[in-house]
Amino acid sequence: MNTNTEKFSYDNAIVRNFAIAVMLWGAVGMLVGVIAAIQMFAPHFSLGIPQTGFGRLRPLHTNAVIFAFVGNGIFMGVYYSLQRLMKARMFSDVLSRIHFWGWQLIIVAAAVTLLFGFTTGKEYAELEWPIDIAITLVWVVFGINMFGTIIKRRERHLYVAVWFYIATWITVAVLHIVNSLELPVSFLKSYPIYAGVQDALVQWWYGHNAVAFFLTTPYLGLMYYFLPKAANRPVYSYRLSIIHFWALIFIYIWAGPHHLLFTALPEWAQSLGMVFSLMLIAPSWGGMLNGLLTLRGAWDKVREEPVLKFLVVAVTAYGMATFEGPMLSIKSVNAISHYTDWTIAHVHVGALGWNGFLTFGILYWLVPKMWGTTLFSKKLANWHFWTGTMAILFYAIPMYWAGFTQSLMWKEFTPEGFLKYPNFLETVIRLVPMYQMRAAGGFLFLAGTFLMIYNLWKTAAQGRFIANEESEAPALVKNVVIHDHYWHRWIERRPIQMLVLSLIVILIGGIVEMIPTFMIKSNIPQIASVQPYTPLELQGRDIYVREGCYTCHSQMVRPFRSETERYGEYSKAGEFVYDHPFQWGSKRTGPDLHRLGGKYPDSWHYNHMFDPQSMSPGSLMPSYPWLFTQSINYASTPKKIKAMRTLGVPYAEGYENQANNDLDQQADKIVASLKSVEIEVKRDKEIIALIAYLQRLGTDIKKANPSTTAQNQ
Amino acid sequence: MQAQVEKEVKCYHCGDVCGKDEIVVTEKHFCCDGCKLVYEMLQENGLCTYYQLEKNPGIKLKAAQHERFSYLNDASVQSQLIQFQNNEVSKATFEIPAIHCASCIWLLENLFKLREGILGSEVNFIRKETTITYDHRAISLKQVVELLASIGYEPSISLEGAPKATNRQEKLFYYRLGVAGFAFGNIMLLSFPEYLSAGSFIEQHFVRFFAWINLILALPVFFFSSSVFFTSAYESLKRRQLNLDVPLALGILVLFGRTVFEIVAHTGAGYADSLAGLVFLLLVGRWFQGRTYERLSFERNYKHYFPVAVTRMNKGREEQVTLDKLAVGDKIVVRNEELVPADAVLLKGEANINYSFVTGEAEPVARSLGQIIFAGGRQEGCTIELQLTKQVSQSYLTGLWNHKAFEKQREDITTFSNKVSRYFTPALLLVAVLTFAYWAFTDIPKAFDAFTAILIVACPCALALSSPFLLGNAMAILGKNKLYLKDTTVIERLSAINEVVFDKTGTITLAGNKDIVYSAGVMPDDQQALVKALVRHSNHPLSSRLRQYLGNNGTYDVKQFSEVPGKGISGLVNGIKVKLGSAAFVDLTESLSGGIAETRVWVSFNGVPKGYYAFTNQYRPELKEVVAALKEHYTLSLISGDNEGEKTKLQQYFGQEVAMHFKQSPHEKLHYIEQLQQQGKKVLMLGDGLNDAGALKQSDAGISVSDNINNFSPACDAILDASQFGKLPAMLAFSRAAKTALIFGLLISGAYNAVGLYYAVQGNLSPVVAAILMPLSSVSVVAYGVMATQLLGRKYGLLGAAANAPKVNKSVANYEIQLT
Amino acid sequence: MTAIFVLIIISLIVAVGFLVAFLWSVRNGQYKDSYTPSVRILFDNDKPSDNTHKS
Repeated sequence: MNTNTEKFSYDNAIVRNFAIAVMLWGAVGMLVGVIAAIQMFAPHFSLGIPQTGFGRLRPLHTNAVIFAFVGNGIFMGVYYSLQRLMKARMFSDVLSRIHFWGWQLIIVAAAVTLLFGFTTGKEYAELEWPIDIAITLVWVVFGINMFGTIIKRRERHLYVAVWFYIATWITVAVLHIVNSLELPVSFLKSYPIYAGVQDALVQWWYGHNAVAFFLTTPYLGLMYYFLPKAANRPVYSYRLSIIHFWALIFIYIWAGPHHLLFTALPEWAQSLGMVFSLMLIAPSWGGMLNGLLTLRGAWDKVREEPVLKFLVVAVTAYGMATFEGPMLSIKSVNAISHYTDWTIAHVHVGALGWNGFLTFGILYWLVPKMWGTTLFSKKLANWHFWTGTMAILFYAIPMYWAGFTQSLMWKEFTPEGFLKYPNFLETVIRLVPMYQMRAAGGFLFLAGTFLMIYNLWKTAAQGRFIANEESEAPALVKNVVIHDHYWHRWIERRPIQMLVLSLIVILIGGIVEMIPTFMIKSNIPQIASVQPYTPLELQGRDIYVREGCYTCHSQMVRPFRSETERYGEYSKAGEFVYDHPFQWGSKRTGPDLHRLGGKYPDSWHYNHMFDPQSMSPGSLMPSYPWLFTQSINYASTPKKIKAMRTLGVPYAEGYENQANNDLDQQADKIVASLKSVEIEVKRDKEIIALIAYLQRLGTDIKKANPSTTAQNQ
Repeated sequence: MQAQVEKEVKCYHCGDVCGKDEIVVTEKHFCCDGCKLVYEMLQENGLCTYYQLEKNPGIKLKAAQHERFSYLNDASVQSQLIQFQNNEVSKATFEIPAIHCASCIWLLENLFKLREGILGSEVNFIRKETTITYDHRAISLKQVVELLASIGYEPSISLEGAPKATNRQEKLFYYRLGVAGFAFGNIMLLSFPEYLSAGSFIEQHFVRFFAWINLILALPVFFFSSSVFFTSAYESLKRRQLNLDVPLALGILVLFGRTVFEIVAHTGAGYADSLAGLVFLLLVGRWFQGRTYERLSFERNYKHYFPVAVTRMNKGREEQVTLDKLAVGDKIVVRNEELVPADAVLLKGEANINYSFVTGEAEPVARSLGQIIFAGGRQEGCTIELQLTKQVSQSYLTGLWNHKAFEKQREDITTFSNKVSRYFTPALLLVAVLTFAYWAFTDIPKAFDAFTAILIVACPCALALSSPFLLGNAMAILGKNKLYLKDTTVIERLSAINEVVFDKTGTITLAGNKDIVYSAGVMPDDQQALVKALVRHSNHPLSSRLRQYLGNNGTYDVKQFSEVPGKGISGLVNGIKVKLGSAAFVDLTESLSGGIAETRVWVSFNGVPKGYYAFTNQYRPELKEVVAALKEHYTLSLISGDNEGEKTKLQQYFGQEVAMHFKQSPHEKLHYIEQLQQQGKKVLMLGDGLNDAGALKQSDAGISVSDNINNFSPACDAILDASQFGKLPAMLAFSRAAKTALIFGLLISGAYNAVGLYYAVQGNLSPVVAAILMPLSSVSVVAYGVMATQLLGRKYGLLGAAANAPKVNKSVANYEIQLT
Repeated sequence: MTAIFVLIIISLIVAVGFLVAFLWSVRNGQYKDSYTPSVRILFDNDKPSDNTHKS
């Protein structure tokens, strides 16, 4: 045998582990989704206990599906394809195991903390600071393992898929860290260092790019590997795939702000997001066509091969989603779609179609291969395919419908110039049938997933698992890659570029160090009348965050007549300077709450929180009985005041010592006002704090003199 | 009957139909021993996946001779072939024409399993190259090549065409493109606030911050990415010319200068976005235009086809020497299928020389002792010994390359857009100066603003983009129709043609495919049977042609069969002595017939000449239409190396008026073109063989017509796949139309410049206007260029249903994939 | 709106990182061949050759 040839084996065990995790968490995440979907039309289904409320299940659903299902899907695909593409076993089995178990622990921790109300209140970044740190560590482990493998590879060329993996790792790391900069108040409680508009901007820069670099780029990498493999033909145009990658990389990062159109974000920043989102169509569709054209001339294969069916639908869904996305970022469209179920439909086409089906396709291809057998039942797989496809339609169509209906009802005026549906509730009740259909669709999809799990389990049972796949390849001969000139020499011969690059680096480095101070300085008030929250309101706000009210209620009145008529004066950036975190929300299942303060008497809120239907018959809001029994955590008040001061909120030095007294005084007022309508309640109950916060919402500006309110910065 | 059954069976290795010497091993059929051996070698090394990836992927082995590659032990040869070497590892890249499918890639990249010492190998499918890294202590370069040859992948080695490792220029270009693209994307982002600030209030500190970052990002664009334009502009100025890069460089310079000034002086946001965008788009344009056909070589000279080394007799010992070492008077040995490197006299053996790639004439000609054999001929049959009468470089054919035609480099100044800029630039400067003067009286700073603004907007980026994209796409369209151009300037040259010169043999005739006519009317069947019987025993191309012509069910068997290479065959058939061959062979003297066009095979029975079979040229079926169509626009003429024999026949195709010149030596062909050019003609030469190389090179546009674009074509501007010969008129018409479209594109971009000037002259060109105007003009001009050519392509039937354009199909098996 | 400074800087760092990656890949000759790699990934049978009957 050849001296230079090395024998080695591919680690399939780690791939199997992730595959199992994918199926497990996929089922869990979807199940939670179905439950939440049912609660959308049957509020009592939340059983009146804290852990099962919609406000806590919804974050659990999104996190489980994104980070548990798709996350493990990414790792499964990467650990399988990277080894083969690099002709090398993973850099370190130990790191692989740490990565696997670390990630699963994070998921469990996330599930528990979210159910028990520990949340930062920032969508898709709800996890509290200890878990954020854990994520960072595991991600680093993954990085070492991946780059280690790349370094010790036996194949000189880095296939385009690998580039997508690399981009994913780097970008997600940056996004996660920047968006998770938060100041711990206690174990499992923290405040983001950004406030209001700032927080919103960072959050959606993250939010959008999480979609881009967690749900898209890694899966594109998987597509470029598994689609050709499954079809056994090279990708339509490799050159195009390379261009696809670099184009996507340079544009995606900028598209974030389009999530904040018509908000208090500066005009130009909004338009910026819009323009770049539109530019995204080109590379995205380039990728989609490249994927589909790979199968041209092989459609007969597609007809009998379930794997290919799933992949085709997945790529098509990607195309639809990446076309719809930019459309939604066009201001005029966004004006209709935003805060409605349209967005929900959009994201689920992506999640169910693109991520879901691609994952299924890969699993159907991978499991028989790794167990050295054939698929247990093609028939079942085809059943899964059709139920899944039906499910997507059952889900998406009612949601689009709901979106249009609601948006039109919100904006409809009578000839006399009054809102046609002044009572928000009317617009909600109208949607109940669609919500029921959506739940059915979700259930169908879940059922399909169980079909797959059964099918794959039987497949594995009939085969023998190949934990280590033997292979051999010659080691790369080092230094033989002929460079006409080396990088450093290249740079040395061009002092100017050297200067420029170092300039950029230095400048960047310098400014990065200044970030925290930046943020805090920028939190100084811009509207004189906007005051920090009182201790009681602060506690109330944390309860608002804990219960995930933002999952159904926005706090952002957009400058449309239809909204100012319904809610009051539109929101100004300056009003949120003390909001750590911002609570603008992204969906209005219930009405906007930014101008709620002073709209109803305390008693209304008291009764409404206890039994929403009693105040507004037909309401879809669950009741929150535990708020009436649980007591405010006085001990935390001083810590919270201190933390807020560090973040630039102007509480006087030492105020933390008298904060609880002020808290009690304000609480007593509310207790009194409730007493006046024969409601007996202790002042230390959480409901009091919540009422205090709700009554404060959006009231400061009314006290202000017009001159300062004019400027909306 | 039985023969029928055999025909069904395909060789497991190479897929050829297994003949009578079929071999069967483990139910696998092989057409020959070679194929079987390769299979066994692969099978022994567990490399049978080779046969699973594709059906019958193998290549039939050439009859290998011992020591064919011994010249590879020559240090000077090695140094030219090996790209990298340290004390144990060597690395060399070989061109392997046999590469054609996924199996080839797989096998060649698994060489390490086949042989100790191979450290790795990497295939470049499109270039049909394989880079092999090997441990030269374990295996020598010669052994590597022999290994490749032994499995059917014999590299075509030529020191001239030794594949280059990596092209430094190309890389630098991609660096520039990358840097420009990166800067462009980010600068655009940072410029949006400026554009959009009109709508809403934006804080000053943002504008400042963005502007500064833009400036930083613009630095590498200016100093690195755009340097190509400055160097090119400098070059052309040195030549006292104004190519298009001069105004471009000027514009870029001013853009940058003013950007720096505005940002440093806080007078504005500068034009960093326009600068980066302009440079980026221009580079993209160059990239688009620069895509060429990697697989094809347009600059080949005779050295690419001659052997690297030949066998020289030195004091009765054979030795391998490289061509340059050969001297007049040397005795050399030429074996079957080997080339004669230089004009020489035949000393020993039966010379049977095939001049196919010199003249395009496939029929071998016999040469007897003492006769001169010209360089470039290929010996068929037994080994011969020659004595050189000329040096390789001085020989009849190769002497061509000493002609000045081969030194002169066509200068890019001839391109249309450069001609334009010759007038454009001065005019532009004039306007700028005048404007400056005008404002100077009233308002000096404004004068400067206006002056720079003019240079910025008038920067002919649209013009510079329209031609690369338009011509680049036109080139791609022609490529789809298998007319492969060297570069886009060829289109412009084709459009200017007014005279078309044809070579005869191989160009307008079908290579090696001829009509057979028996001179003495119809031969009686009984006599035919005799001839049939005889030819069945010979494998000479003419014999096999005759066999097909007569049908191969001869009944008689043949006694005393003998074949005299290059002369003829004879034998005793049914008691009659039958001879077939040259006039001399049947004891005739050719003199009785005048100029002989066709090849003749004489027949004699018992020494009595009966007559001859004439093999006459068959012309390309499309020739008539092509000639007719071309006559409408061009004057035609024909030059041939052959004698006048077919003149009358040719005139049926070309008509009386067309000038025809026969018996033309390669040099005469070249001079003929020169004469035409001196009469102010723009000449298109259509040729094929090396003997046309001079003419092709000298002509304004030389197209080499070739039946297999991959194996041979002399120095030329374009290579036309012979199968597409009929499309030639359409292609030329297309080029003319493309030129017109180009002029129109210029008008469009001119219009944009005018609009820009309107603002600039008044000295109020805001960055926004520039930022809108620049991409608008560029994008629209690019779109125009591409669409115009697409439409023209359809119009002339070069695109869509009309064209049987080989739609780039990259299924693994297909190896025609994008020559681009 | 200082968050914008931060985001832009961060994004620029990332972008520069990718630019460097791009330059590296060109220098390394990653894009010299824009077809063969797509075929190469289809071969997954680089199993050890069981040449038992061969020394």
